[in-house]
Amino acid sequence: MKPVILLARRASIAPVVLAALALFILMVMTFADVMLRSILNAPIEAATELTRILMAVMVFAVMPVISARGGHISVDLTDPVFERLRLHNLRDGLVHIACGVMMIWPVERVWVLAERWRSYGDVTEYLSIPQFYVGWFIAAFTAITAVVMVITGLMHLFAPRLLERDL
Amino acid sequence: MTAALIGFALVLVLVLLRMPIVFSMGLVGTLGFAYERGGSIFDERGLKAAMSMVGRQITDTAQDYGLSVVPLFILMGLFVNKGGLARELYAVSNAFLGHMRGGIAMATVAACGGFSAICGSSLATAATMSKVAMPEMRRYGYADSLSTASIAAGGTLGILIPPSVILVIYGLLTETSIGKLFIAGIVPGALGILFYLFAVRYTVWRNPAAGPAGEKASWSERLRALGSVWAVLLLFFLVIGGLYGVFDFEPLNLTFSPTEAAGMGAMGAFLIALSRGGLSFRSTFEVLKETALTAAALFAVLIGAQIFSNFVNLAGLPEALIGIVTAYDVPAFAVMLMILGIYIILGCVFESLSMLLLTVPIFFPLVTSLGYDPVWFGIVVVVVTEISLITPPVGLNVFILKGVVGDVSTGTIFRGVTPFWMADIVRLALIVLIPTIVLFLPENMGAMGH
Repeated sequence: MKPVILLARRASIAPVVLAALALFILMVMTFADVMLRSILNAPIEAATELTRILMAVMVFAVMPVISARGGHISVDLTDPVFERLRLHNLRDGLVHIACGVMMIWPVERVWVLAERWRSYGDVTEYLSIPQFYVGWFIAAFTAITAVVMVITGLMHLFAPRLLERDL
Repeated sequence: MTAALIGFALVLVLVLLRMPIVFSMGLVGTLGFAYERGGSIFDERGLKAAMSMVGRQITDTAQDYGLSVVPLFILMGLFVNKGGLARELYAVSNAFLGHMRGGIAMATVAACGGFSAICGSSLATAATMSKVAMPEMRRYGYADSLSTASIAAGGTLGILIPPSVILVIYGLLTETSIGKLFIAGIVPGALGILFYLFAVRYTVWRNPAAGPAGEKASWSERLRALGSVWAVLLLFFLVIGGLYGVFDFEPLNLTFSPTEAAGMGAMGAFLIALSRGGLSFRSTFEVLKETALTAAALFAVLIGAQIFSNFVNLAGLPEALIGIVTAYDVPAFAVMLMILGIYIILGCVFESLSMLLLTVPIFFPLVTSLGYDPVWFGIVVVVVTEISLITPPVGLNVFILKGVVGDVSTGTIFRGVTPFWMADIVRLALIVLIPTIVLFLPENMGAMGH
């Protein structure tokens, strides 16, 4: 089991690099857009649509990583109670599995939306980038997130030691 | 309305079972929406309508142009921090204030204020400043209660002084101008610093031993300290000034949208950090990674909140509340006092972002229908949230400090925080009674060049 988890952690660097790259491009592009607009009066016309795409890439690329690390914003008020009763792994296991399972429906829905964009031939205004690529990307990474959450949940239930950071 | 209240209770239960807020609000919001549309949570037509709402919410939020301010401002804060800003700001404030009685604690408050002008998060401000300021105050024999309290309280300024992540979230939830919200936060934030300085003075007046005076810095030392932070101060001026419209004159004609201001800020901070040699390839990647993770978690939570908010609106909770208020002829001011009371009570238990996400969809329509200004309400909510960060028993900043400092009891910190807490209540009262304090700057925005 251990090598599999180490491999998964190794692999999770790829989407993080993708997100970091998207963010860096977003920063440089916004800066360049303002500069070009104010000095040369020549804004980057595609900046708005690229911003939208880069954001979607950044947000959804890291979603599986956030979910596996327990990085979602949550309220930890009752933690001491659960820990005292030694129920925290049971609770985290069930919650993760429930969250993973309930994501099946949004994944399906986003997929349907993407397919609709594809059949309509929706493209972005300036660069004519097909919209459905973004839809596919969101659907795919939401699906990966769902799988990751179910697996994390199972590990909480059956092998909580494997979740420790310093494996 | 009953459905909305049951939904609200369910969200609370799920959240307390430590289900992430996105999923708690998303699940209840979806099922509630289906119930409202189809008459039952199992109704096929209702579920279909709900799912198509959810699908649109996910794809729209992820591609919302206006939301790009969130990662860019977080990025700016992290880059500036890599350049060692916290330490330098502290050195400057200390050079100017340190020689007074309680001066090192006052310097801490001022440095927190300066740091929050770059950083949008209270917890990050408190955590960073405690590493820098705590050893210094210990060296001069400051009472633990005063030194920890000044950091915990000073840290709360992070979410008010622009750029502020919480204000961005409020702006998006309520469709209020983020630029105006940022500008509106300036004066109340400055008042916060001023009142906290008074709180320090009050503490050392009561107990002079709590905060002895430090050494007096010469003017040349002061100028040298100032020299190390000028670039960052300039960056702040550029970003916030650009947002306000300071550069909107011939031939420049430059006014930033919030996204542009954030992009300029992030790039500027990147260049500053780079020029100081504080950035390697690896640390740049770490900063980008941390930003992406933080921003994506915020986006997720926002999607959940919007799904829930769609349900609450469909269920007619805001209208029902407005109906009650008009039926019983409750004066607007009494309603506002009640809302503030609810926030302070909730703040004893909930962390600021969760509180905002849970309450704003319900209160906002009520407050605006009573004729209150949306920008003003945003600032009021943030100030109340700040207070909740240092209110016992769960004041989050206090626990952050306890975590970083270690050998001080939370009781000691809460005792020390009391004067700061009082100062906050006075400031809240001022802002509520005299809305002009908040609204003067945003109402005159963009008017400078004309």
